[in-house]
Amino acid sequence: MKWVANDIDMYLGAKEYVDTIVLPLFPISFGDDIKQTTSMTEFISLLSIQLERQFKGRILMLPGYTYIKNNPDNVLIDDIKRWEAEFQNQSFNHVFYLTSDSDWRTREESFEGSLIWLPSLPLESMDEKYRNSILEDQVQQLIHLFVKKWQNND
Amino acid sequence: MSKQRVTRRQFLNYTLTGVGGFMAAGMLMPMVRFAVDPVLQHNAAGDYVVTDKKISEITAEPVRVDFTFEQKDAWYTSEVTNTAWVYKDENGEVIALSPICKHLGCTVDWNKDKANPEHFYCPCHGGLYTKDGTNVPGTPPAAPLDVYPFKEVDGYLALGKAEPRKEA
Repeated sequence: MKWVANDIDMYLGAKEYVDTIVLPLFPISFGDDIKQTTSMTEFISLLSIQLERQFKGRILMLPGYTYIKNNPDNVLIDDIKRWEAEFQNQSFNHVFYLTSDSDWRTREESFEGSLIWLPSLPLESMDEKYRNSILEDQVQQLIHLFVKKWQNND
Repeated sequence: MSKQRVTRRQFLNYTLTGVGGFMAAGMLMPMVRFAVDPVLQHNAAGDYVVTDKKISEITAEPVRVDFTFEQKDAWYTSEVTNTAWVYKDENGEVIALSPICKHLGCTVDWNKDKANPEHFYCPCHGGLYTKDGTNVPGTPPAAPLDVYPFKEVDGYLALGKAEPRKEA
């Protein structure tokens, strides 16, 4: 489910079925890496749309957490921890973070949820058909990850 | 010089009939057009989207067919890709099922789950459907999968808007 009014109505009616929350992490920077952060953000947001379509009934896809890329680690980790506390209050059993920013891999141990890191692809230079099939492939990979995680905890 | 002389009376008669006729037509035409407008509206073929799947290539094994169309959200137009599971049943009839699980809207997959071969399986909450889209009792979904109406356009499959099926 997406963070839109119609889907949230559905979520409120079927809360017991929605045990997974996904928070995409979007880096922003205006320095030399402005282009990289843009394509990371673009790639992850397109991917999250596809992923939400696949698992609409069990995951809640948040609009995403946007942060300044060169913020110090402890600030970002603190923020994520606050998100995590909120998710636990809402009894989400599975928390996933979706990002292309490799800096998160070193911070992964500091929080509980699973980090899914995917290298961003230069989608802007692909034509639409090719782009869709690439995204489709990536989502297929993620499906396995999600299903495995669900099976381990069920 | 023509021998047929037109009298003044005749001339006036002709002119008046002509002009009157035009005036009557000018009034009646829009009325008639308004009256028959609903009949002339073409909508039958417009809602179908032609896929790149040939009808002759469809077999008894369900395959994924993706098709893209333009969707308008207020002023925003976007390309939407929809998916259908298409196969021919034992009578050779084409069946096009929507992959949207009737439980909470996840995407179902054919023959993917090893524990449930030859079924449509929903990975979210284990919803199961038989090949004809009927929901298996005891699993979460309460209704069979939606069905796309279809048409043949130059040998290719064209799909309409998915419709819920009556309780089987």
